[in-house]
Amino acid sequence: MIKYLLLAPMLTGISCLISKKQKQLEFINLLGSTATLLLGLALVVSVFKNGIVVTWNDVVFADAFSTYLVLIVSLVGFATSVYSIGYMGYEMRHGSMDIKRLRLYYCLFHMFMFSMLLVGVTNILGLWIAIELTTLVSAPLIILYSKKSSVEAAWKYLIICTVGITFALFGTILTYYAAVQVFEGSQEAIDWASLVSVADQFDPVLMKIAFIFILIGYGTKAGLAPMHTWLPDAHSEAPTPVSAMLSGVLLNCAMYAIIRFYTLTVPSTGTEFTSSLLVAFGLLSVGIAVPFIILQKDYKRLLAYSSVEHMGIIAVGIGFGGILGVSGALLHMFNHAMTKPLMFFGAGNVILKYGTKEIDMVSGVVKSMPLTGTMLLLGGLAITGVPPFGIFISEFMVLAAGFSHGNIISTVLLLLFIIMIFGGFFSHVSRMALSTPDPNVKGEVSRWTIVAMVLLMVFVLLLGLYIPRQLYDMILRVVEVLR
Amino acid sequence: MPGIMFGSELMESIIALIMVSTFMVLGSKQLYTSVSAFQFQSLLLACIAGIVAFSTGRIDIYIVAFLTLIIKAILIPYLFVYVIKELKVKREVELFINISPSLLIGGVLVVISYYLVRSISNNSQLSSYALSTSMAMVLIGIFLMITRKKAISQMLGILIMENGLFLGAISLTYGMPLLVEVGIFFDILVGTLIMGVLIFRINRTFETIDTDRLTTLME
Repeated sequence: MIKYLLLAPMLTGISCLISKKQKQLEFINLLGSTATLLLGLALVVSVFKNGIVVTWNDVVFADAFSTYLVLIVSLVGFATSVYSIGYMGYEMRHGSMDIKRLRLYYCLFHMFMFSMLLVGVTNILGLWIAIELTTLVSAPLIILYSKKSSVEAAWKYLIICTVGITFALFGTILTYYAAVQVFEGSQEAIDWASLVSVADQFDPVLMKIAFIFILIGYGTKAGLAPMHTWLPDAHSEAPTPVSAMLSGVLLNCAMYAIIRFYTLTVPSTGTEFTSSLLVAFGLLSVGIAVPFIILQKDYKRLLAYSSVEHMGIIAVGIGFGGILGVSGALLHMFNHAMTKPLMFFGAGNVILKYGTKEIDMVSGVVKSMPLTGTMLLLGGLAITGVPPFGIFISEFMVLAAGFSHGNIISTVLLLLFIIMIFGGFFSHVSRMALSTPDPNVKGEVSRWTIVAMVLLMVFVLLLGLYIPRQLYDMILRVVEVLR
Repeated sequence: MPGIMFGSELMESIIALIMVSTFMVLGSKQLYTSVSAFQFQSLLLACIAGIVAFSTGRIDIYIVAFLTLIIKAILIPYLFVYVIKELKVKREVELFINISPSLLIGGVLVVISYYLVRSISNNSQLSSYALSTSMAMVLIGIFLMITRKKAISQMLGILIMENGLFLGAISLTYGMPLLVEVGIFFDILVGTLIMGVLIFRINRTFETIDTDRLTTLME
């Protein structure tokens, strides 16, 4: 099963390289992402029925948490591939894209999917390789237009994330060393489940140092402050569908890595140490996003800083701990993964039609592009944590966990930051969506972009109104894995 | 088993030489010299991997040693020379902090990492010796990246960090599973290639590879 799941995007990527026409490319793209989505869902079902999957000398590994990430990646990947057809089609019609670049785009897009799926279904060492692979595949995607600013953003992204990932490798080696010491030379199994089962015998001092390196390393990739500096640049300079993938899923992949190592660290060191670190980094991320969101002039950067904020909330949620905190953080991963791409899709349509990234130059989107405008407005409400959307519930769970565990000061701070961000963010979005429309702009970009947005909107709204039984079970299973 | 190979004076002196080569990169004014210092360092790493392979008799570590030799000691230095020649980069290293204070700071970093490792390691003398060298190399690599202007020197900094990690990994755990090692080598090689391509792009769009000119995205 996993083999096919990994093969599908890879084959799609390769066949994109050899196809000739635009129509052909779009068809392969759609076919590939549908196959990936179906295989991803099939993996979810099979892991739930038959339990953990370990194959291939325990290089390939999947448990409930893996499938949770696979679900997020394949869902958002599918929506983005649908959106790409509309977005890139528009670019082709207006000559800012040629067939050569389009081919490269679709190929790299599916390779990117492959690398992120790999993050979910591999062991402690493979995880590092997979995360580094995501950087290597996405850097060329950022410089697709080879503008001056995007070259700079890609360089910053590549350098900062490579350094970060080097730290993570150091942390990984230390953790591996701790495990090898416990196994004492016998042929060791390094999949997550066997590691967690012996994690209480790890050397606590070693694990503390390893966790710091991991948190800084993968935290760089997850966009936790103060290592987040590459994120606004990369996310705003990348082509918009890529921004959606970067924000919606790639950050979650890095967060997944942190949470995995968290489960290995806690048994030997106790929760105090890891919690205080996660809460500190998380709060700093949310706090740093506040001024940048309030004073922002560029709406793609606005969305990027909002991602920094939400990654911070997830880190804080894990830090608060308990069933409520962890499940809140996990639910937040899912909610953010649905809502942020929705916002980027809307922003992408606006960029195509208005030709600018400045907030002040855009007005009246609701009138000139009714569906995009409505989605932007609703998405803006959803992402800032207004009921009845999904993010409200997960933020509420995290805050409740904070209060019930007695972290009053940090919870109040978090609540304050969230309220300030709501004010800043929503005033920007409402200014763009409402006010007097631009007479030069009329009509939507394409039907494909609408389909993609509506698809994500369904999830955003659904998760706010009620959490499906299956997802709820799934999250509980993941929480079980994480304890 | 560990006693045999890490007890040897040969190992100790090779690790010392690796340290020396790190300082050669830190202290050299010429780009070519720092690239050859890096090459020398990778060669020594391959030797270490070879010794470990010999004393444990594991074939997969022989493969790792071979890969180190091919990728880090031959391919990547060649890539550097190619980029330097092709872009007609000025041969001198440009830096924010001069050579002599950098060497001094490098020394301080070494002391710090020895101190840190002593406080955590419960392992044999030599393995912690290797670990502290590896940590020092990671720190010096970062220091190089911060203080050098050229994109190409920053790339060198990353590779030195990675060499340091390789040393740490092989001395702590006698190498990781082969598949993982191959994956890491693949990532490093592809990463270096992509960075090389990006340096060409930077050169074309900014007409320089001084990274302090990359200021379009300031807030």
